[in-house]
Amino acid sequence: MEQTSLRQAPDGKGKFKKMLTTEFYLLVFLVAILVMMRIAAPDFYSLNTIMTVLNYFSYLLIAAIGMNLIIITSNIDVAAGAIMSVVAIVIAFVGKTGAPLPVFMAVGMVVGLVLSWVNGLFITKLKIPAIVATLATTQLFVGALPLVVEGSIYDLPASFTWLAFRAKLFGALPASVVFAAVITVGFMLFMRYSRFSKKLYAVGNNKYAATLTGINVNKVMILAFVIAGPLYGIAGTIIATGGQRVTTTMANGFEMTLIAAVVLGGTSIAGGSGKIIGTVLGAFILSLITPAMNYIGMSSDWSDAVMGGIILLAVVVASISTLTKKKKTIVVPDAVVSASASSSGEVK
Amino acid sequence: MADGMETLATPKVKKRFGVNFNIALILILIALIAVIGTVNPTFVTYNYLMAVVVKNIMEIGLMALPMTLIVITAGIDLSVGSIMIFSAIAGGMAAASMGDGMGVIVTLLVGAGCGLVNGLVIVKLKINALITTLATFFLFRGIAKGITHGDSVYSYDFTTFAGNTDIKGVPLVLIVFIAAAIIFTLLLSKTGFGRSLYALGMNENATRYSGINADRTLIIIYIISGVVCAIAAFFYLGRFTSVKFDVANSMNLKVVTVIVLGGTSILGGVGDMRGTIIAIFIIAVLNSGLTVMDIPIDVQTIIQGTVLIISLIVYSILGERAKKRRVIEVSKEDEPRLVDKAPA
Amino acid sequence: MIRKKRFTLVLVIALAVVVAFAFGACGGGEQPAEEPPADTPTEEPPVETETESDDVEPAAVKVTIAMLPKFKGENYFDAVKVGAEEAVAELVGEGADVELLYDGPPQNDATNQNQVNILEGWIAQGVNAILVSPNDPTAIAPTLKKAMEGGIKVLTFDADADPDARDLFINQGSYDAIGSGMVKAVASKLTEKGYGPDKTANLGIVSSAKTDANQNAWLDAIKALIATDEYSWLKIANEETDVYYPGPDETETQKQSGTLISRMGDGADQIQAAIGLTSMATPALGAQYESAASKPDATKVTMTGLATPNALKDYIKNDANPLDTGVLWNCMDLGYLSVEAAYQYASGTITPESTTMTTSRLGEREIADKVILLGDALIFDKANIDEFNY
Repeated sequence: MEQTSLRQAPDGKGKFKKMLTTEFYLLVFLVAILVMMRIAAPDFYSLNTIMTVLNYFSYLLIAAIGMNLIIITSNIDVAAGAIMSVVAIVIAFVGKTGAPLPVFMAVGMVVGLVLSWVNGLFITKLKIPAIVATLATTQLFVGALPLVVEGSIYDLPASFTWLAFRAKLFGALPASVVFAAVITVGFMLFMRYSRFSKKLYAVGNNKYAATLTGINVNKVMILAFVIAGPLYGIAGTIIATGGQRVTTTMANGFEMTLIAAVVLGGTSIAGGSGKIIGTVLGAFILSLITPAMNYIGMSSDWSDAVMGGIILLAVVVASISTLTKKKKTIVVPDAVVSASASSSGEVK
Repeated sequence: MADGMETLATPKVKKRFGVNFNIALILILIALIAVIGTVNPTFVTYNYLMAVVVKNIMEIGLMALPMTLIVITAGIDLSVGSIMIFSAIAGGMAAASMGDGMGVIVTLLVGAGCGLVNGLVIVKLKINALITTLATFFLFRGIAKGITHGDSVYSYDFTTFAGNTDIKGVPLVLIVFIAAAIIFTLLLSKTGFGRSLYALGMNENATRYSGINADRTLIIIYIISGVVCAIAAFFYLGRFTSVKFDVANSMNLKVVTVIVLGGTSILGGVGDMRGTIIAIFIIAVLNSGLTVMDIPIDVQTIIQGTVLIISLIVYSILGERAKKRRVIEVSKEDEPRLVDKAPA
Repeated sequence: MIRKKRFTLVLVIALAVVVAFAFGACGGGEQPAEEPPADTPTEEPPVETETESDDVEPAAVKVTIAMLPKFKGENYFDAVKVGAEEAVAELVGEGADVELLYDGPPQNDATNQNQVNILEGWIAQGVNAILVSPNDPTAIAPTLKKAMEGGIKVLTFDADADPDARDLFINQGSYDAIGSGMVKAVASKLTEKGYGPDKTANLGIVSSAKTDANQNAWLDAIKALIATDEYSWLKIANEETDVYYPGPDETETQKQSGTLISRMGDGADQIQAAIGLTSMATPALGAQYESAASKPDATKVTMTGLATPNALKDYIKNDANPLDTGVLWNCMDLGYLSVEAAYQYASGTITPESTTMTTSRLGEREIADKVILLGDALIFDKANIDEFNY
């Protein structure tokens, strides 16, 4: 988004136009939902509902930030859910012994890091496109779990569920939300001030150009996966500690929701763009859908359709606004306009 | 083995390693059948091969054919499973209230409509195919879930006929699949339309400038994909007598697995229909063969993943070498001996 | 050309490794692959078993029983499997030649199609008896009929299929008994907490998928019961929103249980009693109550449901948690009885005309209308929960 604002003409209208980013539209949409809920179902604003929504939001967001980094480098990770399932089982083994949260969460982060690193290696060293490489490793991770664990791990001690059951700030706010807040702020600062984050965008924008400016593209890509891994580890820990039992399929399929949150947040799947704040808004909207529908009396049967519709609407709005913006601002020969318009679309 | 390969390969060296790939895939297929057949002879009985191995994969096989076209243009369709279930459910509901004829029409219309939505959004709004079809994956499945309230929809006469008819011992679905496979192979390799797909996959802008109506071509293949999903829906609904929204989840990725195993590059521009067709049968044999050997479902997942990874590695190594060779060909044009191609 | 051959060689070798891997996995699997000669065409084995076991009592013929749960990896079916294995060990100890195959879909993909794929493999191998807990009673029927036509004995356990698609159903308890067990548990707790004919209470229910035969039957039993005068003060206010169908997926169940918990309280527009109809849902209710930010007043609400005792132990023992009772049947006995019935039926000890069957552990059980009933529902609370360990 930094780039977009640079491109804007520095006239009077520029300032207002600058505000009309994807994040702005998302914020308006989010406020609209919240206001509508206030009118249609005031019950929705009970402490409990809010905290339930926030807890789901917290682990969705933590993992989505990792996914966002990967997507910025123009890769994608469909193994995220499988990695979190592996994390959940591993930490359940550790937690069964009565180990405290810092211990098994650290183990979870290491497991996430290693598995995600393997994905990064496949993609960079063997030059396998990310979507198929992670598709293949998903099958390995998902298939291996039931061989190691027969059934589920249950009767986990109180030290394991402490995070979900007891750890509350001011007696109400789940600790997982604090984790999410710290991680989000940390990554917002990181994306803004670190030099490495500039490399992420550069690699995502144009690999070859990045190579020419002396960036080690493979290293940046692997690092994106390596950073995402521990985030999956934390998210997996929050999911697993939600109850006294951990099953082998706890987070399978969750990657679709992560990708949806990132895309809804305005990150282009083509790479090179996307802000953490967008992902925050995207994740928050997605975590509201099911409970909000339940409160206004709609069956949750429709929640998938609503989620798909919102994602589609969001990308369509974003696309139309960029398409029209381009037509207005650039006054150059026709051929160039059509070329730039088409190159911004279908991306390989 | 090597001899057979050489004689077969020589007339078509023009296709570079494409032919060799397919022969390697066929060898793998034969090896798998031989191994599984030795462990459990039931597997190689005609009845089992037809009734289980083939029938279990045909819907995925059908959907993989148009998907190959899409992937060659550097697109992807993650919503195929959802389209199939949505059209099967909409058709089943229509048939229940308005009769079989309407059921068939609604199924096909829904399939084509879903494909049209995908195509329009991808082409006209210039939204990445992966995102579009990820969104419609939720959307179509979600609508299917919403209109049925999560309940099952039941087979009607036409689908029962489609799913359970054998003509002289050959399942109807296999005949339809063979016909479709031939049509798609010819479409891709012998027509200008097919060539324009490769061109779009390699360089979309250049293709547009060369006067090909890229928008129309792309929309057409997404519609074809939707219609074929609807056709697969008839067989699927008939075979299982009822369907529910939740079966679509893993189907998309299975179709992608088939296509990648068949040697089509997910980046576009490279691939052929024969590879996909052979890969369909490899996956079929793996699925049903491992079941017959009493290998738990979980191990089957691992084996499928391993096959996928190995094939990706091999394709990646070969692709790199081919690229290098192309460079040699261009730079040393004055020394044609280095180019290892037979004269045309 | 030479180079090309080398590429292909690499490819072939690489994939030979996979094949070797497949072999390795096969060896690593539980079943040694020595039986294939025995199972040629699918029609033969059952004919053999019937004729031989008719005149020779201790069956020397090998009986292969294949057991298919709704899904794998969850305590309920794990406990059933333990019971099934105990039955096999007992039969083998008595000199019978029995083999048990056990496989099922993963929990997050518990679809009818996955069950059918597994069944097809077993039918082709010509196992002698199939024990299945169907995810969808109607959708699985054609496959089960195909197995029956091939001479395989088909039995259902835990959940029934269409009655014409199976030979016997091993029912864990009558739907009415289990439904009333839950309603009574809820009613007595709510009465203690001040509800009754003068102060109605709302029920919220967490079920499984819409097509699950058991959950639907229990829900019907509950609805029938709260329609009677005795329990008319219990209501399901809005079936669209107050009955949740998260399917068998663990995470989805947790999520929707959390939504239900946050709607509980003592207001007329809130929910006073939550019932979990699956062995995932009830512990999820307990866990979500524990993790709720402001817990609904435990003196005003109550929760119960089906689950294995181990999964509920901590919640039931915790007085601050309104999950006070659990309802179930003895799942290990269910597995035991299922395998016994399958074996006795496949070896001809019992026939479709039999009216009773006897097992050494459970004694005599009646067979009525092709249904074998395991026994009464098991209701456990703080007083007796430590007696169970599964």
